[in-house]
Amino acid sequence: MSVADGKTAGAGDPILVVRELYRHFGGIKAVNGVSLDVDRREIAGLIGPNGSGKSTLFNLVSGAVTPDRGQIRFDGHEIGGRKAHAIARLGLARTFQIPAMFDNMSVTENLLAAAAEGHWQGARERAAETLALLKLDHVADNRASDLSGGQQKLLEFGRVIMRQASLILLDEVTAGVHPNIRKIILEAIARLRERGITFLVIEHDMEMVRNVCDRIIVMDAGRVVASGSFNDIVRNSEVMQTYLGRPQ
Amino acid sequence: MKPRWAGLLLLIAVIGVLALLPMLVNNYWLRIATGALMWAGLACSWNILGGYAGYINFGHSAFFGLGAYVTALLMGDKLAWPFFATVPAGMVVTALFAIIIGAPTLRLRGAYFAIATWAFAEVLIQFASVMDFTGGIGGIGLPPFLDERFFYFAMFAAAALTYLITWALFERSRFGLKVKALRDHELAAEAMGINTSLVKLQTFVLSAVTASVFGAIFAYWVTFINPKSVFGGDITDQMVVMVLLGGLGSLWGPALGGVGLFVVNRLIWMYWGDTAFYIAILGAAIVLVVLFMPNGIASLFSRRAAKSGAVLDKAVGKLVGDDQGGPN
Repeated sequence: MSVADGKTAGAGDPILVVRELYRHFGGIKAVNGVSLDVDRREIAGLIGPNGSGKSTLFNLVSGAVTPDRGQIRFDGHEIGGRKAHAIARLGLARTFQIPAMFDNMSVTENLLAAAAEGHWQGARERAAETLALLKLDHVADNRASDLSGGQQKLLEFGRVIMRQASLILLDEVTAGVHPNIRKIILEAIARLRERGITFLVIEHDMEMVRNVCDRIIVMDAGRVVASGSFNDIVRNSEVMQTYLGRPQ
Repeated sequence: MKPRWAGLLLLIAVIGVLALLPMLVNNYWLRIATGALMWAGLACSWNILGGYAGYINFGHSAFFGLGAYVTALLMGDKLAWPFFATVPAGMVVTALFAIIIGAPTLRLRGAYFAIATWAFAEVLIQFASVMDFTGGIGGIGLPPFLDERFFYFAMFAAAALTYLITWALFERSRFGLKVKALRDHELAAEAMGINTSLVKLQTFVLSAVTASVFGAIFAYWVTFINPKSVFGGDITDQMVVMVLLGGLGSLWGPALGGVGLFVVNRLIWMYWGDTAFYIAILGAAIVLVVLFMPNGIASLFSRRAAKSGAVLDKAVGKLVGDDQGGPN
């Protein structure tokens, strides 16, 4: 286990390498010198209290926000500061903390739109498979805005499946969803992992983190404070203090 | 009969009636039909950007006017180009203007984009008003060609092509999926690999170029144009209202709104001698549609579109800065 360093726990074949990454918003140090690696075929969990910089890190890696400084290398490409669509085309897909639906499009159109750039061949067949995998086929023609919150999470997850990405960033994908939907998502993650896809997952649900993630990276106040297996992490006093507070 | 077949038969019937119309009505009604086709086409061209991409353009008349002025200038005594050569020239000039204006303004959102496009049209009015080669505020004449059937069929062809292109690109292709995706959530569309800046610019240029074709035909039809008559803000206002009434972001909504409003306008003029009453009807119609049919008249024929006014909500949200499509 490594404390304050997320870059050492992998097996040495990282698909994502982040080094000394900084992003400040005025006086707020949202990401303050983060370094971490995510290895191929790994499911890495990213945990930390609210405001610790997890979603900002996702925004930086996916190109939604430009870093102040630091390096982000994805699959051999330097992507720091590149446009989001250019990064997506390299094989990186993400979900958002609050589902980012294409509200006025049907469920099927949402999936097809995800494949419209670069993955169009066989998109309709893959959309039908994805609908079946996520058990959304009965609402295929419904408008996305008419779905329940849980179904919207499923649909957003379906869109990243349609991207045929090599690295998927999931931002609290099971937060607040019905256990049945959670089960569907976890089964889909397992299947995609068998296909060799890597995941970096922001999650507050510790049971999911324990059952799904190979490795856990802990962030606090814009920095990585620990990295290791679930058992290592729960025995780490600094992590416990981060979550439970420091003794007065 | 399945709705799809019923729709196709209705479309064939409408095209058949329109093709035979010059043989069925006198020149007065043919002029009204020509105007109705022009407004249906213009409303569709505005809807390409406003409805499908969610960018409310309050300067669309600029592109209508550019098409009109290019035709008027090229057909003048000095150059004497044939009409059909001036139309593609107007499209090229308009496309260039759209790229120059669209590249910076499409980085703006909501009300800022609307104001920037409105300002562009105002600049063109002023420019055309003070320059000699445009005829200044006095305008510019074109060689008269008094064949009502020619202009009817020219508008018919232009409107049919505009709707055909819109249908093919926005209802039946992956380009349409990209455009609608960026309308609904620009950041998520980027995350799906869609180059939203490029797709917006392509949509803007297409919207502008189609408007320029109607401007070209209009100029030749009326044989005289001035800055207000082709760049005027009221032209854009009409398009916006027609699309809102017909159905924002729908294929046939702009046709329903365009034809409906123009015919009502002409009937009021015919029976009352002026169109002041038309403005009152227009206002009442807008209020009723926004309150009770937020996706316009077209939603009466589409179960999915009728379920909510989400496209209108999205557009209004963008306009008032309420919907940034930004990160969570």
